[in-house]
Amino acid sequence: MHEILKLEHIQKYYGDRGNITKAIRDISFSVQEGEFVGIMGASGSGKTTLLNCIATIDTVSAGKIGLDGVSVTELKEKDLARFRRENLGFIFQDFNLLDTLTISENIALALAINQTPAAEVEGRVAAIAGTLNITDILNQYPYEVSGGQKQRCACARALVNHPKLILADEPTGALDSHSAQMLLNTLRSINEQFEATILMVTHDAFSASYANRILFLRDGAVFTELRKGGDSRKAFFEKLLDVLTAMGGGPARGC
Amino acid sequence: MYAKQIFQNAKRSAKDYLIYLVTMTICVALFYSFLSISSRYYQPDIGSAYDVTLLGGGMKLAICLITLCLLFLIRFVNQYMLRRRQKEFAVQAVMGMEQTTLARLFFAETFIMCGISIVCGIAFGVVCSQFITAMLLTSYGAHYRLSCTLFPDTVLWTAGFFVFSFLAVGVGNVRTIRKTKIVDMLAADRKNEPALPKSRWIAVVIILFEICTFWAFLSGIGKARFYYDPRLPLPVKLLIYGNLGFPALTLLCSALWLIGRRKTGAHTLLPALFGFSLLNAFAAANVPALTRKYWIPWGSGTIRQYLVFVLADLLFSICALICLAGNFIAAWKERSPEHRYRNENLFFFGQIISRLNTTAQTMTLICMTFTLAIVLFMTAPVLVNWASGYLDARSMYDVQIFSRYNNVYEEKDLPHTDYPAVTEFLAAHEIETAYDCAFPLYLPERSSFHNRFKYDFPVVAIALRDYNRIREMLGFEPISLSDGEFTTQWQSTATAEERDAFLAGRHALATDAGTLTLAESASYTEPIGQTVYNSYTDVLYILPDNVCEKLLPVMQNRYIKTAETLSYSKALELERCFAAAYPEQSETGVSFSIRLRTLQVNSTKAGNFVLQASMLYAAIVLMVICLTILSLQQLLDAGQYQYRFSVLRKLGVEEARIHKLIWKQLGVWFGLPIVVATAAAAVIVGYFMQTVSVEISAYIGPDALMLQIGATAGILTILLVCYFISTWVLFKNSIAE
Repeated sequence: MHEILKLEHIQKYYGDRGNITKAIRDISFSVQEGEFVGIMGASGSGKTTLLNCIATIDTVSAGKIGLDGVSVTELKEKDLARFRRENLGFIFQDFNLLDTLTISENIALALAINQTPAAEVEGRVAAIAGTLNITDILNQYPYEVSGGQKQRCACARALVNHPKLILADEPTGALDSHSAQMLLNTLRSINEQFEATILMVTHDAFSASYANRILFLRDGAVFTELRKGGDSRKAFFEKLLDVLTAMGGGPARGC
Repeated sequence: MYAKQIFQNAKRSAKDYLIYLVTMTICVALFYSFLSISSRYYQPDIGSAYDVTLLGGGMKLAICLITLCLLFLIRFVNQYMLRRRQKEFAVQAVMGMEQTTLARLFFAETFIMCGISIVCGIAFGVVCSQFITAMLLTSYGAHYRLSCTLFPDTVLWTAGFFVFSFLAVGVGNVRTIRKTKIVDMLAADRKNEPALPKSRWIAVVIILFEICTFWAFLSGIGKARFYYDPRLPLPVKLLIYGNLGFPALTLLCSALWLIGRRKTGAHTLLPALFGFSLLNAFAAANVPALTRKYWIPWGSGTIRQYLVFVLADLLFSICALICLAGNFIAAWKERSPEHRYRNENLFFFGQIISRLNTTAQTMTLICMTFTLAIVLFMTAPVLVNWASGYLDARSMYDVQIFSRYNNVYEEKDLPHTDYPAVTEFLAAHEIETAYDCAFPLYLPERSSFHNRFKYDFPVVAIALRDYNRIREMLGFEPISLSDGEFTTQWQSTATAEERDAFLAGRHALATDAGTLTLAESASYTEPIGQTVYNSYTDVLYILPDNVCEKLLPVMQNRYIKTAETLSYSKALELERCFAAAYPEQSETGVSFSIRLRTLQVNSTKAGNFVLQASMLYAAIVLMVICLTILSLQQLLDAGQYQYRFSVLRKLGVEEARIHKLIWKQLGVWFGLPIVVATAAAAVIVGYFMQTVSVEISAYIGPDALMLQIGATAGILTILLVCYFISTWVLFKNSIAE
């Protein structure tokens, strides 16, 4: 296994000289290939800002982000879009599906944008849909399917290009508990089956307990880190709650 | 507190609906400037020969009627604003604000925007009215001088008209807000327009089309029964077959569909009817050209009837095309994976199909309105030049007096007068004449005096002496004839073929004074006025003076050129004086008429101006309405688009490619109605040109016509480019992150 993501002393400031808000003070960590990493923290702890910086949607004020040997922070503006579509997959809280396209077309769009040969597109969409169990709804529009199915479609879209890193921003935020559980199982199986590297931002302890390693952020810095090791998910969840209690926040959802 | 909220909302709305505000301002400005001509205070310097009050009433009525179309635009934008704001209204209602108050706030907010449009529009209109004055003075042949004037009565009319329009729509909005349930308001932005195939309007359109097709089929049967002959040339046979066969096939197809619709499904009929409507339109559109080319004896009634069929077929084609456009694109997309999966094409197709499916009705209406605007733009110069050219042909003399013997049945009742009452009038009013020519017109054969059927009216003759006096009066060289010879003079509407066909069988002319032979110079075509010819004829014989002395004079004409142009008041008085002395229907059956150039020029120019101004005004207003709606449909949903394009950005699509996508999307959105409307308008204008091609070549000339059409096409293009670019810029800004 090699190091796929490396963050070195990342800082992010907002505002001008008189009124500076430090969203990220100093964060450094690395992610190995095939890891499922969760990032937890209260509102305003800097987790979404951190994700946006890794996703190249936002820029850092200081520090360096490297993805598979490429220094993301040094990429030029015109190269960022290409870098994003070739290396990163996104799963958003509000799904970000296009209502004008069917589920199948939403997945195929990611391939088409990446210049995949037309002959391969339909086979790859069918394959990923089979894996994520959404074959039945491929010809339906997003407004015709449930929230859980939409999020699985978003997973398929993120995964179909075999990105080096999947970034998930509160993926269960808009789902009911049953759909959330199904999605988390899906993410875990993606991680295990395809050895996909996942970085998931969440404030929900239950969701975070599906990851192998959790980074706890507080006031723009890493407060602590928790590894699952050989623990069961339930035991890991208990440990996670202890850390949250120690940080001063309570559990967001029961096990 | 409420006042502050109203102003804040109006300010925000003004930003959102900038294009709408600009359009309304343009419309108010156009309304004011065109209407300013009808003002009591409007006194342009066009000379004593003209009376500008003739324009007023016609202009006021035409402009107000056309501007009523604007109500549609105001209603459309208000409905859109209402839909967009309903969620906000719902939140305010949940917080405890009464729905009546909400409705009043919205009303006040829209009214402020209306007020801004009216004030800016009138200010802009004062400037624009100078163009209208310049146009008016040009059409009266006077010089233009800049003078900005505010006409209080026109200001009142403009403000009153637009305030009333906004009030009418505003009251409707208040009612809608008050009646809508809060829960429906909350869910308003989640609703879409129903998909088109399910809506009923297309069913109504199909039924209307079938009725028209049945009428065309019956007409086709009639034409085939009465006019079909195996000896007819192939194109005429095809024309008759086509105009019978295509409607028959259309009806057969519909009948078959009706029988087996459960099997085939509802969606199969429309594409078939679309194809047939194009074939029907093609067959009907060829009627005027082939009728003229092959001398088919179909009258103007048939030409007009087939114009109705062409219009019906084209309108149906537009409806069907827009309804099916989404399906066509979807089918093409399905068949071609290479195109479907190339770059962002999936996204692009999705945008277009979704928009077409939800706004097909509006789009169809826009296409039709566009077509009407283009037809108005193109036909206005033709009609105006036709009328002006016809005026030149009619008013060649300052005073033109003529008689007709159509109701005279005894030779003793025929007129023998030089119109002394006119001479007395001229002397009494000290009107000097430069030329004065009174002359009779003769029948070559006395026996044809009683020929009174329309196509049997005899050609009359003029003495060479009188003919040369007329030529001299008009500045043409005199002609000469040898003894025993005759020649002819032709109306400008007669074609060379008609002249040749007539003269081919008339090398000799039998008269009561012996037989004459056709001179070497067999025909003259210089325009000498229309009253010198007998009813229903377009040729005049010119005979030697000694021959004419032995013939029966049947008509008595007198042409006068005055030293100075007759003033409008004197011309009116002379007309009254003449009518009293020589009634239009005298006891003997002779019909006397007078044409005064001053009066003719006045009424024609006023009519022309009203026609031209109202057609151009209508065309611009309709076009501006269409372009505004097209533009607003894109801009008002910017929120939705911003989300969709942000998804693309997150998926890693570069800004340059996003801009290309916007360009393509707007290109299709503006391009589709324009291409469809241009094609439909080309067929209609082509049909119209074919029916009036004789008049075009006689009174306008192809070069002048092409110049006019080019100029109007230029205006159209400028309008289109302005709207397209401003929409593109605003759209790009609205989806920017």
